[in-house]
Amino acid sequence: MIWIRSSFVRLRGLFRKEQLDRELDDELTSHLEMHIEENMRRGMTAEEARRDALIKLGGVEQTKESARDQRGIPFLETLFRDANYGVRGLLRSPAITLAALLSLALGIGANTAIFSLIDTVMLKALPVKEPAQLVLFGNGLDQGISDGFPNPWLYSYPFYREMQKRNQVFSEVAAAFSIVDRIHGFIDGRKDPEAMSIQLVSGTYFPMLGVQAAMGRTLSEEDDATEGGHPVAVVSHAWWKQSLASDPAVVGKKLTIGSTVYSIVGVAPAEFFGTKVGEAPDIWIPLSMQKEVPPGFDGYNDTRFESLHLMARLKPGVTLAGANANANELFQQILRGFAGAPLSAENLQDLEKTHVELNSMATGFTRLRWQFSEPLKILVVVVGFVLLIACANIANLLLARATTRAREIALRQALGAKRSRLIGQLLTESMVLAIAGGVLGIGFAYKASHLLLRMVSDGRESLQLNVPVDMRLLLFTLGVTLATALLFGTFPAIRATRVNLTDFLKDGQSRSQSSAAAKGWLARVLVISQVALSLVLLVGAGLFVRSLKNLSNVDTGFNRENVIRLLVDPSSVGYKEDARLMNLYQEIEQRVSALPGVRGASFSVFTFNEGTWNNAIWVQGYLSGHQSTNVHHNAVGTGYFAAMGIPLLSGRTFGPEDGATSPKVGVISETMARTLFPTGSPIGRRYGRGGPDNAGDIEVIGVVKDVKYNSLDEQPQPGDYLPYAQNIRYLRDFEVRYAGDSSATVAAIRQAIHDADPSLPVSDVMTLENQVARSITNERMVAQLSSFFGLLAVFLSCIGIYGLMSYLVTRRSNEIGLRMALGAERSQVLWLVMRESLLLVAFGIAIGVPVAFLCVRLLSSTLYGVRVNDPATLLTAAGLLLVTATTAGYLPARRAALVDPMVALRYE
Amino acid sequence: MGDKTDVWQGTLALMVLKTLETLGPQHGYGIARRIEQTSGDLLSVNYGTLYPALLKLEQEGYIASEWGVSDNNRRAKFYKLTRAGRRQLEKEAREWEQATVILARFLAAKEEAS
Repeated sequence: MIWIRSSFVRLRGLFRKEQLDRELDDELTSHLEMHIEENMRRGMTAEEARRDALIKLGGVEQTKESARDQRGIPFLETLFRDANYGVRGLLRSPAITLAALLSLALGIGANTAIFSLIDTVMLKALPVKEPAQLVLFGNGLDQGISDGFPNPWLYSYPFYREMQKRNQVFSEVAAAFSIVDRIHGFIDGRKDPEAMSIQLVSGTYFPMLGVQAAMGRTLSEEDDATEGGHPVAVVSHAWWKQSLASDPAVVGKKLTIGSTVYSIVGVAPAEFFGTKVGEAPDIWIPLSMQKEVPPGFDGYNDTRFESLHLMARLKPGVTLAGANANANELFQQILRGFAGAPLSAENLQDLEKTHVELNSMATGFTRLRWQFSEPLKILVVVVGFVLLIACANIANLLLARATTRAREIALRQALGAKRSRLIGQLLTESMVLAIAGGVLGIGFAYKASHLLLRMVSDGRESLQLNVPVDMRLLLFTLGVTLATALLFGTFPAIRATRVNLTDFLKDGQSRSQSSAAAKGWLARVLVISQVALSLVLLVGAGLFVRSLKNLSNVDTGFNRENVIRLLVDPSSVGYKEDARLMNLYQEIEQRVSALPGVRGASFSVFTFNEGTWNNAIWVQGYLSGHQSTNVHHNAVGTGYFAAMGIPLLSGRTFGPEDGATSPKVGVISETMARTLFPTGSPIGRRYGRGGPDNAGDIEVIGVVKDVKYNSLDEQPQPGDYLPYAQNIRYLRDFEVRYAGDSSATVAAIRQAIHDADPSLPVSDVMTLENQVARSITNERMVAQLSSFFGLLAVFLSCIGIYGLMSYLVTRRSNEIGLRMALGAERSQVLWLVMRESLLLVAFGIAIGVPVAFLCVRLLSSTLYGVRVNDPATLLTAAGLLLVTATTAGYLPARRAALVDPMVALRYE
Repeated sequence: MGDKTDVWQGTLALMVLKTLETLGPQHGYGIARRIEQTSGDLLSVNYGTLYPALLKLEQEGYIASEWGVSDNNRRAKFYKLTRAGRRQLEKEAREWEQATVILARFLAAKEEAS
């Protein structure tokens, strides 16, 4: 441990320099005096004595120097000195330094932020015990309730139990409801309903994952034994903190959800968010309680109620393939074995062809991967390009600095500086720049990752993601920039020190000019690449912006302006799907319609981009090939078409005459009319759901314009509208068309709803315009970020051009002065310099155009209404680049033109 | 610096420690003179290398220094052995003896073999 002590002492030595220097002086002086004295005693003359003493000591200064080396830490001292010198040098050209730092910071920050998001969404392992052993049945993309046979993506509760009992490959199997219930409940002793998302899970869920409660206990197999018998709940750490104010006595507290009172038995650990990335439910309740939790699913014993995601932990030593074989075999056996299984010849054939696919669940599962992978990949490429451009700028800056200092370096070498020492110094300066940029980049990365999450969270569901800035990623990006700085710092540094001294000092100028030419070659290539990369980014950004504009202008079929949309949740406050619910809906519609400024109000299952409700329908008397066709349904109130502004094309819409007991009616879309009723007017014709026997159920009373259901770029699809009075079910959405002030209207609507029933929870108030805008969040994010980075790239390239031209002008000021002295016009000089920068830009564009074509071809699937080789976008991008780059080149050119020939000639 | 000097520096530290053990507190010049005399003037100490070596020993905590007055009334920095220094001296002396014994045997054996 001696070295620790001595490094400490030495480190202290760094800060007590002067005192230690003085002491050393004194000590050596007293040494010399004693030696001289003794020499004289031996009979030497004073002169001889002194000489001998000095020789024996080996030089006062040398001794001092080696003592000093021993005292401090010479390496560190040199480093400090070089860093100090480097900082001063960089501050001498603040504009370029600032630009270099900013570009580094943005490059590092943006890369880290985007990689962090990717890491969270795609790569991070679940925070559970040995996540590598976890497997998921299917891919987890399907959500909902199905009665398909066979279905390898969603499973019934009885299937889960059979699989758990009969498999030989899993140490445990667990199930989770594929939909998280977003409902309202009441916390013990509070009057206002609280929004909460509930995940129904099997009792084996927590034990299978190996997740221990942070407080109390988690759920166990005993909580999932008797249907309706286990009113217990585990709450998430985040919800405990936020809604229960981190109550330390939370275990045993009561929650009222629907008409059941639940005991909170535990709090999940803070890092555990469930198994689906981006969802993070607030409360876990055993599946045995599914009928009690609104909206009251009844699937505990139903073999055809396929609604669960199945997951399992592999037994040690079992491979994924081995487990898959066993799961497949059981899949066939279990489905065949259920009492009342629909084993028609056709279904059995289907079953034989259907296979369960087990997937690793080490990183959880999520739709996000599928939803974001495209835009994130695009952004990764974009920020990667920006980082490259930033690195090119740094490289150019360092090259320019090293070359302008060739003379200084030669001089120092001539004075005896070691080559290693000079290279070390140049490298230190590069590192100073890279590290400062890196530090700024870290700060920026934190900001950017929050911003990015906000931008993507604007999507259809708010994202429950925790995106920490990943240290490994940060270090990686930092490493890349440091490597750049080292590479481009080393190259000129080594070259600069390899100068032939005599040549240089004899004729500094010719030597420096040939090295300038060599330097110019590399710098020009860098600038040309910058311009080319910027062009690619600009073209991409242009295409995304135009695509976004096209999407925003798509005719949705409804009028998205002046409509407020909100969610009302009667299921959480005791309403069942019966006549009382219908009366409530009607009363609210009437109250709100009577408000001043309201032009229409209606409940519906959904409006836009909130999922769909599809069924096969059979058309009476329709004899073409297909027996049935899938259409989108919506159950709506009488005011729906007025509220949404969907134009009626023929017939009528719903009225009070279409009540619960009146003949069943439907309004169909243009496309449905055209495809299913191709001949004659569809009004008065009939169709039905549930089988050919029901084909006469519903009479068509009207045809309305097509609307978009889920996304703005979808093709027109057949759909129908049914009056909710004839289709009793929970309706989530409430739409109100209004004129005038929106916030006053919202307040009035809330009041009207609470006049009908004060306990009704109202949530997610927004405009229909917002609702539509949310559906293109990804597109908007990509367009905004790519534009931002595209412009940043142009800016960085301009700095690159400006820097290079300034450097060349400075180096050639002698030549320019000579030309002017010989009679060259200022305009000629201006052109001389401008020509150079124009050539660089032209080269860059010439290279960039084919590269851009190649790159954007990969984007064609993500663009809407724009051709990939859109000439207008290309021309605009090239034009913008040409103009800005020329401006950047003009400034140094003008400076060259303003050179005073006399001054320039005298200078060298 | 060449290899010889490295070895030399290692032994110099040991000599300094031994000198301080024998003489008690002593100043730099005194240590240098003593080493020369002890070696029967076979060794000529380059006094310049002595001071960095003293500094190093002090940093390592084997010796301590303070300013005092010499025999002929000069102000000088006096070095003395610390407890850690005494232990280090024993250790190094032992190691050194061992090394010399081994080397001596080795050289003797080599002669026999040839």
